[in-house]
Amino acid sequence: MARLVQELNRLPGIGPKSAQRLAYYIIRLPDEDAYALADAVTSVKQNIVYCEGCQNLTDASPCQICADPRRDRTILCVVEDPLDVLAMERTRSFRGLYHVLHGVISPINGIGPDQLKLKELFIRVADAEVTELVVATNPTLEGEATAMYIRRHQGRDDLKITHLARGLPVGGSLEYSDETTLSRAFQGRQEI
Amino acid sequence: MAPPRTYRCEAIILGYTPLREADLLVTMFTRDQGKVKAVAKGARRSTSKLVGHLEPLTVVRMSMAHGRNMDIISQAEVIRSFSELKEDLTAIAKGQYLAELVDGFGAEASANPGLFQLMIDTLGAVEADSASDMPLRFFELHLLQVSGLMPELYHCVECRNELEPDAHRFSPNMGGTLCLDCSPDDAHLRPLSLRALKVLRLLDRSEIVESCRLSPDDGLAAELKSLLSTTVSYWLGKEIRSNSFLERLNKESHPEVYI
Repeated sequence: MARLVQELNRLPGIGPKSAQRLAYYIIRLPDEDAYALADAVTSVKQNIVYCEGCQNLTDASPCQICADPRRDRTILCVVEDPLDVLAMERTRSFRGLYHVLHGVISPINGIGPDQLKLKELFIRVADAEVTELVVATNPTLEGEATAMYIRRHQGRDDLKITHLARGLPVGGSLEYSDETTLSRAFQGRQEI
Repeated sequence: MAPPRTYRCEAIILGYTPLREADLLVTMFTRDQGKVKAVAKGARRSTSKLVGHLEPLTVVRMSMAHGRNMDIISQAEVIRSFSELKEDLTAIAKGQYLAELVDGFGAEASANPGLFQLMIDTLGAVEADSASDMPLRFFELHLLQVSGLMPELYHCVECRNELEPDAHRFSPNMGGTLCLDCSPDDAHLRPLSLRALKVLRLLDRSEIVESCRLSPDDGLAAELKSLLSTTVSYWLGKEIRSNSFLERLNKESHPEVYI
């Protein structure tokens, strides 16, 4: 019991009290549910690998998206995390390939370029087939720093490098917008 | 009478970490209360009224409410965003180095308005000239000063004699400069050139704008950087993590200096 609490306590966002509550919940689970949970944890560690192309987490490499012949191989969209791929896929507006960095450059937290999948990105970008790189890191200080690092180090003069539009979110409010967001929204204004 | 539940403050955002589903735990350095950690509820949602106002290296006016464990940010308004700094990778790396040092030296519930103003002035200097390292050297020395750890630059810390215009030695552990006649057994002892001592004294007596006009040659710049960052790291008691990324960018910009 103490070991289970200790292990759960190591999960992000789980404090000692929540760990105890979860441990008691697991103890009260029917046997088959508890074993299914344990099996899922074991299986995910045994079977999930990095895709040889996009570096996303997958159970078969290359992943479904990279293996899909209908995807446009000339455009790469760089995202921070696997969850960002899911968010982009929900839009159904991007038909290119992805590249997952698994984080952003965060010197304060000891995360530099070598801790990310940047080397793999630069190898992919060296392929002349790729004509556009969409850097879709979050518009945060660290996301922007990562985008600048990619632009500086990608090594090609003929590559089109873009990032996602900056501006007001749907359902947002001008009154509460910060000056950077608002000025970028002005810069990116569109005819209606 | 019970203290007021809410208060206002000016703060520099140092960083944040995700908390729960959509919240942020924001670390900031305030003018009146030193380092504060507070929760910004719902700030990770794109429609949050706080989003965009809590980016690191931004000076913000805050409305806060005392919480049971941690204070809650109820409103935030950007006073100075340093937007040009945030468009330059080297300047961002320097800003993050400053933030890490303020996070390390700033104490919670202990006002240090000198440090607050020093950080703002240094961010302004980095924004004005991201190529120069002098703003960082000025910051390191004055950070030690406002933290009560200023190294002695005018007298030998061992014999207390006034320092002659000559090469000397320096030890963060002993609190500053030593003359060549004193030879204590100290693992942190290192040589200090006369030129470096002169620049340190100039940094001590000058305003940041004047200090940033200095452009030391590569050898002197390397000596100052090594001496001050080692001293700051010594007092911090740990490695400054953002330094390695900054070094990496410097190496890429000036490979000849590092051969």
